[in-house]
Amino acid sequence: MKYFVVLEQREGVIKEASRDVWNAVQHFVQAAEDGEFYGAVIGAVDKDHVSDTCGGKGCVYIVEGAELLGYNPAAYVRTITELVAKTGAENVFIANTAMGKDLSPRIAVHLDAALVSDCVVEVGRNGLLKASTTMYSGAVAAEAQVLSNRAIYCMSPRARRPAKPSGNNVGVQETVDFGIVGADPSGWNPVLKDIVYHAGKKDVAEAEIVVAGGRGVGSGEDFAMLESLAEVLGGAVGASRSAVDEGWRPHSDQIGQTGKSVAPKLYIACGVSGAVQHLAGINGAGTVVAINRDKDAPIFKAADYGIVGDIAEVVPQLERAVREFSEQH
Amino acid sequence: MEVMEIAVCINRVPDTGSRIEVRNGVIETSRLNMVLNPYDEYAIEEAVRFKERHPVVAVTAFSAGGEERYDVLRKAMAMGVDKACLVKNGKDDDSYVVAASLCKAIREYYPELPDLVFCGRESSDCNRAQVPLMLAEMLGFAAVSAVTKLEMHNREIKVWREIEGGIEEYVLHTPAVISAEKGLNHPRKTNVKAVVKARKQPVAHVDGSIEESPRILYGTFFSAERSRNCKFLETAEDLVRVLHEEKGGL
Repeated sequence: MKYFVVLEQREGVIKEASRDVWNAVQHFVQAAEDGEFYGAVIGAVDKDHVSDTCGGKGCVYIVEGAELLGYNPAAYVRTITELVAKTGAENVFIANTAMGKDLSPRIAVHLDAALVSDCVVEVGRNGLLKASTTMYSGAVAAEAQVLSNRAIYCMSPRARRPAKPSGNNVGVQETVDFGIVGADPSGWNPVLKDIVYHAGKKDVAEAEIVVAGGRGVGSGEDFAMLESLAEVLGGAVGASRSAVDEGWRPHSDQIGQTGKSVAPKLYIACGVSGAVQHLAGINGAGTVVAINRDKDAPIFKAADYGIVGDIAEVVPQLERAVREFSEQH
Repeated sequence: MEVMEIAVCINRVPDTGSRIEVRNGVIETSRLNMVLNPYDEYAIEEAVRFKERHPVVAVTAFSAGGEERYDVLRKAMAMGVDKACLVKNGKDDDSYVVAASLCKAIREYYPELPDLVFCGRESSDCNRAQVPLMLAEMLGFAAVSAVTKLEMHNREIKVWREIEGGIEEYVLHTPAVISAEKGLNHPRKTNVKAVVKARKQPVAHVDGSIEESPRILYGTFFSAERSRNCKFLETAEDLVRVLHEEKGGL
């Protein structure tokens, strides 16, 4: 079998989510042993950065071009389609990021492949890949049986991240030129004009620790407590749908079915009741802590640790306790 | 002046408040309350606003499946969509088949392809977000997904979408497929008069059956287990201690 990983870069750095996919797939290959292994980074990246990032075995292509620095859908689709066809890979993997979600259905059409979105992939006992996904806000789990010869797996993040494979037998091939790179002359394809990054803010989808607030926080101003705790922990602040609907936080902070899926090592839910739609967004989280005044709140059923109490009291106490702990250790 | 044609593709899903149960590996759907997919409301609203700003715009809603979809098509008309078209299709499980059916129907319905196609970002039942982008590639249209803001001048469209840690701005031209994210607009509520009027309007039928077979079979359904064993603690100090001792965190 041949395995192909699409590696996403921003500003010349391969994203953590893509590294996790690469590492996970390297472990499939070890299980399958006879696997052939490919990767592709589109946009300017340093060759050494690729060698340092991608352990294990295989070959990674770097495709550079002035118009490929940011996500250019038409050019990315053509590049990936050509590379996958050239390598003959049957299994294509991509991280379930904003780009991965946009790119994967497009390449599925061009490669005539099955697409499994937002999935977890494992190697089954028969040595074949087994992909599972959830439906109905995470209430139902389902296995996806691939009926075509080629499949694309858009892989969800998990708190338990795959280890970097041992050894470094990865060849890096720079600047592959298929004569396909370049803006579409018809000019109708979407062209990325600008990216504005939220200054100094860690994204909830990428943070190792997330402090999330719900309606129980009380007001937009009271989120300052959560900001302060997140800063001490080195994490990011997220919000439930009700807190966003109240206008306390922007939609980009929203966690849950209508927001982002997160997979931090530690998730601290403050004043979040725990509606199924919210829980759908934290399926991949590691340790879950819930702080809520209502001891019967459904969030406690999804938590490993709970404190019943007022947010306004418990959150500052927790911040103090973390500070004291850090000073002692 | 030439009429600008806008297609809106909509889906019918269980109410997000529904309790979904799995019995013997089969999803129990008989008692579910089916509604218009919430994300599609943003798509409809955006199309209807185009019509209100420019009188030469015609908006048609499409939905692929059986006649049970009349309810969501009529809801779209009550929100201000001009016409509705049922894309008759027996199988509707796999996104590829749905996108191919919609593509076929749109090609048949319009003498010339429409200028814009709006879809919701994803359906709230399967959350795959595949159909809008697959449809765009099948139609040969430009596309941007999960759009939170849109401006259009002549045939040039400016759109914004959220990515991890920031916002991307794209410029594209019609014909295009745009999938709507929450935040693009505030969908209007329907009033009784509009609902009654929509009930009397005809729904066109287009054959959406295609040769293509599904690429994926979803099966082995089971209720996702997400109950954890919550250990209740008294103080924040206790929490920090157990996180350190039991999880090696902090």
